[in-house]
Order: sequence, then C-alpha cells, then structure tokens
Amino acid sequence: MVDSKKSWKAWLYLSPAIVLLLIFTVWPIFNTIRMAFLENYNFYGGMNGVTFKFGLGNFMQVVTYKNFVTCLTNTLLLCVLTVPISTLLALVIAVCLNAIKPFQRLLQTIFFLPYVTNSIAIGMVFAAMFNMIGTAYGTQNELIVTSGIINNVIEFFGGDRINWINTGSTKLANMIVLVIYIVWNALPFKILVLLGGLQSVNKQYYEAAKVDGTSRLRTFTRITVPLLSPMITYVVITGFIGGFKEYSSIVGVFGDDMGPTGTNKPLNTMVGYIYDSLRNNLPGRASAAALILFAIIFVVTMLNLYISKKNTHY
Amino acid sequence: MTQQSIQTMSDRDMQKVNVRQRIVKIIVQVLLYAFLIVMALIIVFPFYFMIISSVKELAEYKLPVQTLWPNKIVLYNYVEAFNTAHLGRLFMNTLYVGVVSTVLSLVITVLTAFAFARLEFKGKNAMFAALLATMMIPGELFTITNYQTVSNFLGLKTLGMQMGSAALKDMGDWKNSFTVLIVPFLVSVFYIYLLRQNFLQIPNELYLAAKVDGTSDIKYLWKVMIPLALPTLISITILKMMGAWNSYMWPLLVANDEAHNLITNGLRNAFTTTAGDVNIPVQMAAVAIVSAPLFLVFIFLRKYIMKGVSRSGIKG
Amino acid sequence: MKRRIVSLVLALLMMTVSLFTVTSCAGGQVAGELSTFEFDTETPVTITFYHTMGESLRAVLDKYIAKFNELYPNITVEHKQVGGYDDVREQIKTEITVGDQPNIAYCYPDHVALYNLAQAVQTLDTLIAAENVVTRADGTTETLGLTQEQIDNFIDGYYEEGKAFGDGKMYTLPMSKSTEVLYYNKTFFKENNLAVPTTWDELEQTCKKILEIDPECIPLGYDSEANWFITMCEQLGTPYTSATGEHFLFDNEENHAFVTKFRDWYNNRYVTTQELSGGYTSALFTKSPAEVGNCYMCIGSSAGANHQIPKNDDGSFKFEVGIASIPQANAANPKVISQGPSLCIFKKANAQEVLASWLFVKYLTTTVDFQAEFGMTSGYVPVLENVTDNAVYAEELANADGYEGLPLLATQVCLEQMDAYYTSPAFNGSSTARDEVGKLMQICMTTTESDVAAAIKKAFADAVAECKYQAGE
Repeated sequence: MVDSKKSWKAWLYLSPAIVLLLIFTVWPIFNTIRMAFLENYNFYGGMNGVTFKFGLGNFMQVVTYKNFVTCLTNTLLLCVLTVPISTLLALVIAVCLNAIKPFQRLLQTIFFLPYVTNSIAIGMVFAAMFNMIGTAYGTQNELIVTSGIINNVIEFFGGDRINWINTGSTKLANMIVLVIYIVWNALPFKILVLLGGLQSVNKQYYEAAKVDGTSRLRTFTRITVPLLSPMITYVVITGFIGGFKEYSSIVGVFGDDMGPTGTNKPLNTMVGYIYDSLRNNLPGRASAAALILFAIIFVVTMLNLYISKKNTHY
Repeated sequence: MTQQSIQTMSDRDMQKVNVRQRIVKIIVQVLLYAFLIVMALIIVFPFYFMIISSVKELAEYKLPVQTLWPNKIVLYNYVEAFNTAHLGRLFMNTLYVGVVSTVLSLVITVLTAFAFARLEFKGKNAMFAALLATMMIPGELFTITNYQTVSNFLGLKTLGMQMGSAALKDMGDWKNSFTVLIVPFLVSVFYIYLLRQNFLQIPNELYLAAKVDGTSDIKYLWKVMIPLALPTLISITILKMMGAWNSYMWPLLVANDEAHNLITNGLRNAFTTTAGDVNIPVQMAAVAIVSAPLFLVFIFLRKYIMKGVSRSGIKG
Repeated sequence: MKRRIVSLVLALLMMTVSLFTVTSCAGGQVAGELSTFEFDTETPVTITFYHTMGESLRAVLDKYIAKFNELYPNITVEHKQVGGYDDVREQIKTEITVGDQPNIAYCYPDHVALYNLAQAVQTLDTLIAAENVVTRADGTTETLGLTQEQIDNFIDGYYEEGKAFGDGKMYTLPMSKSTEVLYYNKTFFKENNLAVPTTWDELEQTCKKILEIDPECIPLGYDSEANWFITMCEQLGTPYTSATGEHFLFDNEENHAFVTKFRDWYNNRYVTTQELSGGYTSALFTKSPAEVGNCYMCIGSSAGANHQIPKNDDGSFKFEVGIASIPQANAANPKVISQGPSLCIFKKANAQEVLASWLFVKYLTTTVDFQAEFGMTSGYVPVLENVTDNAVYAEELANADGYEGLPLLATQVCLEQMDAYYTSPAFNGSSTARDEVGKLMQICMTTTESDVAAAIKKAFADAVAECKYQAGE
C-alpha cells in the first residue's frame, strides 16, 4: 500500500531531477522524433516558412546509404569483440587480484589508471605507438623512418613490421588496434565493479567449498560467477550501450577521417554517421539514424536482461 | 586394524596433503603474480610511452628503433605545449565547473536514487524504466535541441526582446556563462542507476528500523545510506570531474569566450592554429599536461575508493 | 493501469515543455532588406566580429579598432576568436537558428552558401552603391559605399570571389588572402643546374632528374590534394563543380587522366602529399638533404612560408629557398587558387548595426596601413593593389631574401601573379566536394587494386555519389 504522504515526499525528492530531465532530455527526444519524421528537415527551413513533408524519407535515406552498412557492421563488430574480451579479462584480473594479498592495492591502483583519462588524448598516444613515420606508405617505394614502438617490439621478436594504421593498412589491422585500445580503456571500470562484487561475496561460500574439496575451477564457475552475475550483467549491459555509441576512441586514434589516410571513413560508426549528418545540416537524417541506433540498443539490452534474468542467482 | 593405526595413517596422509597443498598454493601464487604483473605492464605502457616520448628530442623520437629510455631528456616540449595555450586560466575554469557541477549533481543524484530505492510511489517502476531507456539514446543528439533551449530559455529571450526588457533577455540567454556548462548536465541517469543499485543493497530493515525510531529520511540518508554508498559516490565524483575535464563539443558551442573556455577546447584551439609537421613529442607533452590533474585527483581519492569498495559488505 | 497513468502524466509534462519551446523557435526570424542607408553617428551601437586570429593578429586588430573608434566613437567593436574556420562555421550555423549570429564573421565561400540557406547574409551590392555621405568624428566625410577607385584597388580575383555564389550578387569582401606557391631548394637547384619548372611536364622531368641525383629523396611535396585536383581542373578547363544546376561535375575522362598520371608519379616516388606523408610537407622540405625522404620542392600555402624556412637549431640555414609560381598546364592562361578568409555581414533587425558593420568591414579591407601591417604579421597577402604605398611594407618586401624573409618573398610572388587567381563556385555542398576530391586523389594514388583504371573510375563515381548524398540530394 502506498501512503499518500510518502508518495508526496518522493515526488519532492524527484522534482529537481524531473524538471531538468524534462527540459534537457525528454524534450530533445521529442524534438528528435519530430525531426526524424519531417523529410529533409533542416534547421533553417522553419525560419523561412518552408514546410516539410511528414514521412519516412529520412529513414529511407539512412538505410539506403551505401556506407550505412559499413557504419552498422563496424559498430556491431566493435561491440561483439570488445565487450566479451574486456569482460572476461576484467573478470580474470579481478579474481586474481582478489586471490592475492601483498601488492594487491598497488596493482589495483595500476589497473585503475586508464579510467582517469581523456579518450581522445590517450587515443593519440595509441596512434603514436602504432604509427609509422616516413613517406609513401603502401607502395613499393617506401621510406620508413620509424616504424613505431609496437613494430619495434614485433621486429625484436623476429617478426615483420605491420602497417597498423597508416595508408594502405588493412581493415583487420585497424580493427585490432581499435579493439586493443577500447579494451584497454574499458578494463578499469569493469575490474572495479567486479572486484567490488567479489570482495562483498560472503567468505562462507568459499569456506564451504573448501571443506567440500571443490576444485578451483568449479568454485569459480559454480560459486564466483553466479554470485557475481548481477555485476557481470551490469558491466555487460553498460559495455554494450557504450560500445554502440563508440565514436571518440576512433577519433582519438584515427582523427576525424575515421580511418587511415587515403580512405573513405572505413571505420565510421553509427554515432559518426549521426555527427556527419548534423554537420551537413541534415538533422532530420541524423535524428532518424539516432532512432535506429536507439532501437538496436534497446533490443540488445532487453535481450541481455532476458538472458541474465534466466541465469542470475542471488 | 586398530583404531590407533587408522589415526596415524590419516595423520600422515594429512601431512602429505598439506605439503602438496602448500606447493600448489605457492605455484598458483607465483602464476597469479606473473599474470597480474604482465597485465599491469601492458596497462601502464601507454602512459610510460607518453611520458618518455614527451621528453625526447624530435630527432631522437624519429630513430628507426625507438629508445625505451630517452638518450637526452628535454623539457622544452612541455614549455611549447604549455605556452601555446593559456593553461592557468583554462585549469581554473575547468576546476570551477567540475567542482560546482559535481556537488550539485551529487545532491540531485542522491535524492533521486533514494526515492527510487526506498520510497514507494505510483509508477515508480515504469518511471525508472523510462529513465533507463533514455540512457540508450546517443547523447549527441540532445546537443542541438539543448543549444536552442539555452540560447532562448523557455522563450524568455524572445519575450525580453519583444518587451524590451534586458533583464528578461539575459535570463533567457545562458550562453557564455558557467551556468550553461553546469546545469544541462546535472542529472545523469547513469549515476542515478549506479547509486540506486547501491542503495538497494542496503537492507530495507535498516530503513524500517530507523522509521520506527522516528529518524527523518534526510537524517537516515546522511547517517546511513551515504556512508554505506560512499564508494559509489566517489566513483560518481570522479566520473563527473572527468566529464568536466573531457567535455568538448558543448563548451565549444555555448561558452567559447576566453573567460569561460575549458581545458580541452583551449588546448585544441591552441594546437589547431599551429601549422607544420605533427610534432609527436610536443603532442605527447600536451596529452600529459591534460592528463596530469585527473591523475592527481585520482591519487588523492584512491584511498577512499579502495577502502570503500572493500567495505560495501552488505549484499542485497 | 499504473503505467498508463504515469505515461499520461509524462505526456502532459512533455507537451507543456514543448509548448514553451515552440515559442522559443520563433526567435530565429530573419531580418528583411535594409530600411535605411543613413548612418546615425550619435546613438551607440555595438557590433560583434568572429574570427580565427591568434594573439599577435588580435593585437593588430585592436590597434586599428582604436583608430576606427577615433572616426566613429559610437561604434563598439567586440571581437572574438572562435577556434578555427570550421569552428566559426559551426558556431554561426547554430546561432543562426535562434537569430543570435554575430554582425561580422571571417568566412570562406562555402560558409556563406551555408548561412544563405537561412538567408542570413547581407548582400553588399546596395551598400557598395550607396552614395549617402557619413560625417566622421574628426570632421571629415566619406561616402557610405565604395568609390570606383576603391573597387579598382582591390586585386580583381579576390574581389570577384564575393560574387561566386551563382546569383551574381556580392556577399563578401576579401580580408587577407593566400595562395599556393612552389618552394624549391635554391642551393640544390643551382648546384645541379636545374631549371625551376613552369609546367607540369617540366616538373615531371625535374622530379626524374632529382631522383637520379638523390635516390633517397622524394622530389616534390604537395600539401593539399584537394587544391591540386581543383587547380588542375581550372588549368585544364575541365568541369569541377557548378553553383547552379547539376553541382558535381568532376567525374569525367580528362580528370581521370590527370589523376592516373599523378598516381604514376606517386608510385615512382616523385611526389608525396600532406595526408599521405602524415603532416605538412614543409616538414620534409626543411629536412637536411642528407636525410632520407627529404623534398627538394614543395607546393604549399603562401601563408605557411615561415614553416618552409630550413633553419638549424643553432640558427644557421640548411640551404637557400627560392619561391616561384606553381606549374601550369597552359602557360598562356595561368591559374592559381585564391584562399584565405573574407568578411561577411549578417542581416540584423537594427539597420544601424548593419551599417556600422559595413563601415568597419570597409575600413579593414580598404585601409592600406591595416592591410600592410596585418599582412606583415600574418604572412597573408594583402588584398589591395596599392599596399606598397605603405613605406615600411614596401621596404620589407624589397629586401625579402630566401632565408628569414620567406614570408615576404612569398607575398612578392603572390602580388606578381595578381591576374591568375581563381575561386571555385560556392554553394551548399561545395566544401563537401572539396573534401571528396582531396580524398579521391589519395584513394586513386594509393589503390592496390589490380585493375587501376576500374578502381579510379569507381572512386570517382563514389565521390560524386557521396557529394550528392551529403548535400541531401
């Protein structure tokens, strides 16, 4: 039963958030939907008394665009690659951290470092690490001055240098760099959340397992993972949401070109597409793309929740 | 066999098992440390690379095989990076925006999360679901509508212009003020979600007991919930500070005068007007300068974070 | 049931907010034609000016604003650096939607085409023609418009740029300009008896010779791929874009041909570009010739001349630099690109603001001393033919050498080729076309497809399609 006095109080507590959300979140959503369904809507049209036809034109323009599929697959690929890798790695690191005593804090601090960075700025650092300095890449007449520190390491172990991000590099190489960077960037938050979860797990479960002589692996899959499942669900969902909005890390590594020099935005993502449309004064198209992105994220999140509900144990 | 001999055998067995267990344990520990140290080195390497590159001469940076320690340490890259932008002012502006928006944001987030976690009201779940749904919308799209909103808040500017009231006009135009950098981002659904989850882990019995004792909500919040949720609150603080530190598009649009310029914009502007070769050592120095304050904040708050994480002992 | 009530409440709240914001949309109304040409020298008026000037240029501007205020004390000029050119465009683009644009802005032609979608830019024709007399504070008078003498004094190519919008109307006045010039290693050219190439064929031969002399170099660095493409179209007389009708015309056989040729140059390592080498090619040009991958020639902006000075850390010079006009396809009809900012004035409801803005723009663009000082500080080319009337400027110009004097040496070359300037048509989408042909050059030069001709053909078709798509067609 809800007593009305308490209900009134709840609304009072909620009021600052609600007011601000209505103005700066809800209304823009509303406006976005409006713009998405007005064909070829642009910011100046309304001022000159131009009226826009209501319809699905913007959506058609988005999905029939030849590079739309590229943007979509890049976004999906980055999600599908980075979320499981970073979650798994974070889980392993968190479990390991939880199992040691000396230097735990120091290591924990180190693993947290990428958390406090500017993704565009550190993207530039990654770019520099993979970057070759020289000229005329991709032709038989290469003059390489420096092949980059990562290539130096590869060469040290007897491998051949790889063109990671410069002109003529393959999309596979580009993707590897991005995945490494995004995973690196995503680890700290996941480790923090998972380690927090681990440390709050009741020690009795483990003691019970020890007494029963349960193997370590079994303890991990049967006790640790299930107990951590709310945290895992949480990092996976936020990971996917973040992954679908991936943009700034690509700008960080590749700049506004969204790909190696001499290419046509091969690594563009959905958010990149939205920005491009906004820059071209086509907010209708941008809004339509944003709604499509929203629909995708919504479906994936619901799917995640559904799956985790089936597997979550408390 | 007698009772006695069984006892002795199992003792011996136990001893053997103990020795083996201890050996396994040591091996496992060694492996754990090896793995963690390798991972830590990988995590740290980009920072290390950034710092050594920023103190190298350009000629040394361009050696065919890069040096892992600079042959000659120079600091002029920092001077160059620092001088091209007026960093002092940029730092202060960013700090101000960061601190004010963090404090206000924390207050709002705590109240909201408390309402969602502890209070009962009609449509709570539906509303919370609606809130979460907004999280999935790419935030970039809010920018353009929000720009229109802050340029002419609730139509006050137009009204002021029509009525010839300068005060009204100013009330409607938030641009080039710290307000415009702070207010639109005070509410973050993500933080509310984070904190609500944390609040939910605190058993309801505590709240009900407090109610029975006649403790007010605010007092309960202050005395029980906030201390218990401190790690999350610190996380939020850091995220929020980072937000101020890293924000780029919005300040560029609404507050790009020198008096309100924030760090990323200032640095970016300073470096775009410089033509010429991409001087990676200078670039790395600039990145290091931008990164340093966040690291300092982190170092000061680290203790609380680590303690907080281990203390959140109650699980829902 | 519960859910329905909540959604109802939410919907109602949304509608309330949206109502508010609908009224706010009415803010961005466009002012109509100018109501008066009589400037009121009494009532205070404030105008805002967005630009991209760095600190040293702002100092020059402030100095001349003070001088301007001696003539018009009632005009307050507030100016502000808004990042780079793109930032100015983005800022104004958004401000126009709420009617909050500045009075004056640094602009490139495509920016004006964009602002014009909202009909926000003041056409200058009536202002230029206005014969109203304005009395200044020092007692002297001036006509509001431009005198024939003033118009003639503008370098023609620069002045004409203000009309490149396909409707014959004038929208901008040139502020400070730059162009592309050919920097070459004079010391090296002398030592090896090389002639400075004046045509593309000669350039090809020169590159070949240089590569024979120094196999570890790249003879030529060309900074802007887009400029290269557009300039070739202009020099060859082949279609690029049009401000009216079908906009994107650059996919044709002639253009395929020159791109294919430059691809061979690239693969022979005759040339590299800014994007392909990862930085302005001035970095390669100013390298010591003993280093691997240096350039002996560089085609870059005249405004970047100070980056072409090959100075050692100890202050000595690696070699002497010479500057020449870029190579031509048809020496009888030379064409070089005109770049650099112009000034545009925005429409405002208050006609006095527009008139004040006009007076200020006119002051900046027609005052010889300002143009000279601004040119000396920025390295940009003044837009007036008689800028050498300024004694200091004339002297500095005459004494320019191939070492520290490079910026002025570049200006000299620019002033000599006064008749060769062209600007490409400006329309909404012209900057996309520029971006796309720049990228097109890179793609064609580096493609690794086995059927090069087909790859180039496809790249051209893709670029046109992309241009059309981005233009919303």
